[in-house]
This record gives sequence, C-alpha cells and structure tokens, in this order.
Amino acid sequence: MKKSKLSMRARYFMEGYSFISLWLFGFLMFMAIPLGRSMYYSFHALKVSKDGLIATFVGTEHFRAAFTTDVNFLPLLKETMVSTLTQVPLILIFSLFCAILLNRGMIGKTFFRGVFFLPVIIASGAILSKLMDQGAANLPIFYNQNLYNKLSAFIPGDILETLLKYAESLTLVMWDSGVQILIFLAGLQTISISLYEAAKCDGATAWESFWKITFPMIMPMMLVNTLFSIVSSFTKADNQIMSHILNVVFKNNDFGYGSAMGWIYFIFIFLILGVVFLLFRKSLGATEGRK
Amino acid sequence: MLKESASPVRTASVESVTTRLRANGQLDKTAKRSLQVIHTAFYYLVILSLSFVFLYPLLYMLSKSMMQMQDVADATVQWIPTRLSFHNYTLAWKALNFWGGFANSAIISFGSAVLQILSCSLVGYGFARYRFPGYMVCFVLLLFTFLVPPQTIVVPLYLFFSDLGWINTHLPFVIPSLFGHGLKGALFVLIFIQFYRRMPNVLEEAARIDGAGPFRTYWKIMFPLAKPAMLIVFLFSVVWHWNDSFEPNTYLTTPDFYNLSQRLAMFYGTNNQAAEAMSQMTSGSIGMAPTGLNQIMAGCILAILPILILYLFVQRHFVESVERSGIAGE
Repeated sequence: MKKSKLSMRARYFMEGYSFISLWLFGFLMFMAIPLGRSMYYSFHALKVSKDGLIATFVGTEHFRAAFTTDVNFLPLLKETMVSTLTQVPLILIFSLFCAILLNRGMIGKTFFRGVFFLPVIIASGAILSKLMDQGAANLPIFYNQNLYNKLSAFIPGDILETLLKYAESLTLVMWDSGVQILIFLAGLQTISISLYEAAKCDGATAWESFWKITFPMIMPMMLVNTLFSIVSSFTKADNQIMSHILNVVFKNNDFGYGSAMGWIYFIFIFLILGVVFLLFRKSLGATEGRK
Repeated sequence: MLKESASPVRTASVESVTTRLRANGQLDKTAKRSLQVIHTAFYYLVILSLSFVFLYPLLYMLSKSMMQMQDVADATVQWIPTRLSFHNYTLAWKALNFWGGFANSAIISFGSAVLQILSCSLVGYGFARYRFPGYMVCFVLLLFTFLVPPQTIVVPLYLFFSDLGWINTHLPFVIPSLFGHGLKGALFVLIFIQFYRRMPNVLEEAARIDGAGPFRTYWKIMFPLAKPAMLIVFLFSVVWHWNDSFEPNTYLTTPDFYNLSQRLAMFYGTNNQAAEAMSQMTSGSIGMAPTGLNQIMAGCILAILPILILYLFVQRHFVESVERSGIAGE
C-alpha cells in the first residue's frame, strides 16, 4: 500500500536498494565494523580477562614495533613484496601466451583448456605445500641436467644463478596462472575476427596485428588480471606474512599487534595497487576512446 | 582402367604439360603446405609440452602414491612403479579420517557455494540494473572489499565469531556467504554484474508489462538465465573453499572439525619406521629416502579427488561459460 504512494523514481530507487541491501548488511557486519575494530585494536594493547578484552591505548607503538623490534616482520614483508613484483609480470606474460595458444581451433580444444585450469584445483593450498616439501613443485629439467655447469662457461655465475632461480620458479608461475588464462581467453573471444581480416588485407603481419589489435583490445583484461594476480599472490596459502600474523595473534594472543601488522600489510598492498592503476590509466583511456 | 591402358603416353604428356604449366604455383603451394605442417607440428609440440607442465603435479602424485617404499628410494624408478600398490591409499584414508574431513570440507564448500550463488546473483543484479543515489559509493566499496586481504580483519572477525559462539562450527563460512561476502564474495558479485549487464533489457520489460514485480522478474526470468555465471561461481567457490586453509585454520581449531586440507597439512605419513629401515638397507643414503612420501601423495590425491571428479564433469561447460558470461568484462 505504501509503495503505491511513492513516485516512480523513488520506487525504482527502493527496488535497487532492496536488491543490494543483503550485501550492504553483510558489508557492515563482515567488513566495515571489523575494519573499524581492527583499526581501533591496532592502537591499543589488548589483554584477555574474565570480562572480555581490556584495551589500553598505546598509540603507534605496535606500528613502530613492527618496523623496529620484530625481527621477522620486515624480512617477510620484503620477501612477499619481491616475489609478488617479480611473479606478477611473469604470470601476465605467460597467461597471455597460453590464452593465445588456446584461442586457436585445434584438435582436443576442450581437453587442453581443461588441462590449463587444472593446477587451480590441484596445486593450491595444502597440496602445493606438500609438493614443495618434496621439491616436486619445480620441474626437474633445470637441475637434473646440471644446467649450471654447462652454461657457466657462457654466462657469468651471478646472472646465471638468478636466471636459473627464475626458471625454477617458472613452474609455480605457470600453475598460478589458470584463472588469468581463462580471463584472457574470454577477452580474446570478444575481439571480432573482422579486425584481423582487415589488418591482413592491409598487409599486416601476425606480429604487427598482435601489437596493434590484440594487445590494445585486451588491455582491460590486463588490468583485471594484474589486480587479480596481485591480490591472490598476497593472500596465497603459502604466504609467510599470513602465517606470521596468525602465529602472533593466536599463539601469543597479541591481538593489537596482529591488527597493526594486518594494517601495515594492507597499506603496502594498496600502494602497489595504486601504482598499477596509475600505470594503466593511460592505456585504459585509450581503449575507452576507441569503443 | 581401359583409358589408362589405351593411351599411357598421352596421359603422361598431358601430365607433364600441366605440371609445367602449374610449376610455379604448385611449388608455391607445396612450400606453403609444408611450412604450414611444420607450423602446426611446432604448435602442438608447444601446447603438449605446456600441458605436461600443467599435468605434472597430478601425474607426480599419482605415480608416487602407487609406489612402495623400495620404488621411492630407488633412483632408477622414475615414473612407473615396479609393482602397483594401493596400500598407501588405505593408510592415508585412515590417517586423514577421510569421511570426517570430507564432511567438513563438503559442508563448507558446497554450502558456501550455493549461498554465494543465491546472494551474489541477487546483489549483482541490483548493481547491474539499478542506478540509485550512492551507487558509485557502493560500487567502490564492493571493489574495496575484493582488495582487502583477510589478514587485516581476521582479529576482529575472530573475536566477533567467538562472541557469537561460532568457533568450531561451520557458521563463519556459511553466514557471510549468505550475505554475499565470504571467501572472494566480491569477485563473485562482480562476475554476476558483468553477466547481467550484457543481458538485453527486453526480457525484463516483457515480464514487467505482464505484471511481475521486480523480485519475481528477477527470480523467474533473469536468475534462470544466469546459468553460465552460476557455473563459474559455483566451481570457483567450491574449489577455493576446498583448498583454503587460512580461514579454516582460524575458525576450526579442534581436530574433529578439521577439513580435508587441514588434515592433509598435518599428515606426515605414518610409515616412518619402514622408511628408516629402507634407507638403512640402501646403505649410505640415510635421509635420502623421503619418509612416507608415497603416503603423503596418496593423501593429496584423496584430498582433491572429490573436486577433481566434480571438475571432470563440469570442465567442458565451465570453459564455455567463462567465454559466454563475460567474466573478463570491461
């Protein structure tokens, strides 16, 4: 009854709100309030007592402690940052390569596409760490063939060592790129074939049409994939920071310090994401203009 | 037959003429053809070797899990065990307490997946079809939710759930899913937004003209059409919940409630004595024989077997759905 008194416009708004109200409530309960509380905790020392938690204000002590007294936090943070920054570009390049390979018509198309997503199911979480324990997370090609000794005649040792290290982490990169391959594949399907045909008529080579058509057209997916890769690499199961925070919180019962570390981690992630957005702003503007 | 025997000379001459005439074009064609064959062969070589890399963990686990201790210790045995043994599976089955872990994993992942489909689809529809005051704020908050690492808010969430008495129950996984949150909930909302945005408006307009309310239109017309997006969300949600260890490790603290991946993480093979005896027999290489590796790998296989079977069934439709649902979007 009440609804009919509202104007069409207000009713439309109400419908919209009611669709997302479920999520808004969830956002308050499981995101906004916890975030606020965790911010509060990070500036307080928490003591567990009979009447619940007792908080005493300590200012920025936890934040300073993370950078000065905690011997584990900074190295772990640095390690996580470095591995993310080196692996994300590799994941992007590799998954784009795979998506282009899989985008062709071929025998056993569905089989290959299924295979490329398989590591998302298998090589994650507890299983991946079990495989890593056994040294089975790296393909044996690089150390079995004694590549180091063979190549050290041509390449200086330091460079070779980092190169081989990279090569070894390559399998992990490949297994991490299942979702990204799917996203690129979906993106490639949306590019119309007539663009390529037109380019071919004009005498463009495959190489040229990749850089002039595929690459700019796939730029939005590049952003999606970059964000996804960064976020997933920061929240991966074998992430050291994550277990360190859990340890501090649940073994030492240091809720305040754990929250502070969570926030520092969060701020670092947001800085990196901000840089990514800045980098992509230019190229995204270009694609939007073309549409 | 007759023709050939009648004038062999003539046919030969005709052939020679035509070949001479076509010589240039023909040569071009064969060269092109062979180049193409090489190209295709190279292409399959690349894709097959890449497939091997992707299948490697599965093959490794399968092969090692069927080996006996002698084979694991024996350097000459690479892939094929000398004798097939399923003993490891029975051991791992018992050590994992499979059914208990399976039940916990299944409740968490399938329960959350179904709830996330229902809630994220509803919310996604709201975001895709309605523009209301504060829309941009909500949308930015949605993206924000996707980017906040769970570590940041684990402390207050833990305290919140423990106040409610939800620790060591499945509620911390299921209830947030009911509200479109939970593990990667924001991503699933985004997938549904992307899907509904691409649907034509006409269908809903027809339903509205026929007198259906907004929720009825959604439930009867739009939701059933979202099958590709549902399949994607379902599979992602099940797989990620199944393999997740951060949140289960936080909220499930007594062994009875451990899910399969937690149990697997604690599982170190029970055959250590046998392995030690083995490594002494092979003398000198003490510590070289990985202890209980075959059992651990059997445990790994058991822990992922349910989702592997699930994936086997939906794989075909899954990849198609990814292409059709516009997961990549703008």
